[in-house]
Amino acid sequence: MSVTSRAEDFATTFANAVHGGLDKVLGQSGAAAVLSHMKMANNLPDPAEFHKKLLALFGLQATVSLERAIVKDLVTRLRWALDLLNLEGDFDFSATMRRIERGVKR
Amino acid sequence: MTTKKSTGLKPLIQVDRQRGAPGSGADDLAETRIATVLGLKQFMQGPIRTLLIKGLAGTGKTTVALEILKAAGKGKGAYISSRVAKELLEKHIPAMKNTLQSQEFLDIRLEDATSALDFVMQLTEPKKIRTIVFDSWDGLAKELEQKERLRAEKTLMALANNSGAQLIFVSEEPGATTIDYLVDGILEMVTVEEQDRAVREFIIHKLRGTKIPQHKYLFTLLEGKFTFFGPYAIPDYSKVSKFIQKPDIDGSYSFGSGALDRLFGGIIPGSTLAIEYDENVPYPALRAIELPPIINFLSMGRSAILLPLPGANDERTNSILTKALDERIVGDRLRILNVVRTSDLETTNLLKNVTPNQIHEIVTRETTRLREKSKDQSVLLVKSVSALENLFASDLDSLLEVTSQEIITLAQSHDAHILFLPKDSPIRSRILSMSSSYAKLFVRDGTVLMYGVKPHTGIYALQHLEDPTSPSLTQLV
Repeated sequence: MSVTSRAEDFATTFANAVHGGLDKVLGQSGAAAVLSHMKMANNLPDPAEFHKKLLALFGLQATVSLERAIVKDLVTRLRWALDLLNLEGDFDFSATMRRIERGVKR
Repeated sequence: MTTKKSTGLKPLIQVDRQRGAPGSGADDLAETRIATVLGLKQFMQGPIRTLLIKGLAGTGKTTVALEILKAAGKGKGAYISSRVAKELLEKHIPAMKNTLQSQEFLDIRLEDATSALDFVMQLTEPKKIRTIVFDSWDGLAKELEQKERLRAEKTLMALANNSGAQLIFVSEEPGATTIDYLVDGILEMVTVEEQDRAVREFIIHKLRGTKIPQHKYLFTLLEGKFTFFGPYAIPDYSKVSKFIQKPDIDGSYSFGSGALDRLFGGIIPGSTLAIEYDENVPYPALRAIELPPIINFLSMGRSAILLPLPGANDERTNSILTKALDERIVGDRLRILNVVRTSDLETTNLLKNVTPNQIHEIVTRETTRLREKSKDQSVLLVKSVSALENLFASDLDSLLEVTSQEIITLAQSHDAHILFLPKDSPIRSRILSMSSSYAKLFVRDGTVLMYGVKPHTGIYALQHLEDPTSPSLTQLV
């Protein structure tokens, strides 16, 4: 598979994981409301910007919970083992997403 | 003064038409409203971020929610309505029109849960809104599956927690739902029947991190405003000021209290008013019915006789009266006749063998003496039946006979007669059948309530908001 199609696949998988992760915690209406509010319903969110917006809406603790749910969903979709990622302790959503993206593209 | 042939108190309806809601003077209400707002602020301070107000239709949920919204401050609240349009709500609760106009109003009747949550995000993200009312949440939530509903509710909680806004959910679902477990506080509004009259009550089921001194409170929606009643507070008699006499009302004696006059329309000369009370009614509440007519009679240049309730402190009574009136007037035209005090019965031997007739003779003699001193020969007799019942427990028939004679005599001489009667009195029904008017006092949720049976009146909460000697009566509607 080419690097471009891998990147496209990752973008789709990531977008699905965002929906899936948010759904799991906030429900379908909550997830849809968050993405609509962030104007990200149809666009792939930039992890850093997404993190900032989540933080503004929900505060640190709830944001971390939501981001972990997204990462878990993404890892499941990619059929990775969760223990390859550090989801405990000081969790950094952007850094984790970069690691996963790099792993997918390799 | 002119007298009337009929006995009894004036009908309430007349007062209603002439002066609006009886017993709900603007000043009384203003005071109560201040207490209410302070009370609500107290409820809503600190750790209470989310509150559920539940109850059946018409129990006052929306009014309470709007009061809380009002307390948020102008422009710092938002009302999300899934049931009623703004214009209609303003018509339903006109007293809250200003509140509705000064706060954000979002009509989501045709929106889904996603849009409603988006609205909440728009409100909470700038962190300017302090209170958001969701009326009603279950109107929307019922469309969601159980798991989806719970998640949507958790979303709302998280948004509220982060923004610092208070989220008030209004619900008509009587049973416990998922949101009951999530919110910090739950208030339930109910309407209960008390003596054939509807009484509103709110129940605090939960208020996390807040001391709840009492779980149930009575409230009224008089004039479309929420006003709740704390437990009866004994008045501060050190604040008794000089009494300003209340003139006769269209040939009737004034009760000496604006609230009582508005409720009953004055005492028709020659009538007997029976005040029935239950054992939980605090003595100062009874005193608020007992003293104003006495003070006003004396102030008007008339005379009065008081046979106090058992346990009444005559010195305290005297001290209150002499603060309200000139000491000479009290000493000259008032006789406090304590039937359990031997000195009042003139001889120490009398008490052991005293009969109802002997008491009656003393009362008659005192009435005759005081009649001479009264500017128009009229005398007010305020009498505790309980004190006499205790004294003549083995001869209640004689007591009834004497009471009957007294009622007739006082009626003929156009005097005024007030009898205090305990609820469990063995001669209750016979006394009541002889009385021209009859009112009841009892306690519910710590609040002293009063209503007229004869004539029929609404039900009122008795407090002391202004004058410590006089009652403030607020109608429960």
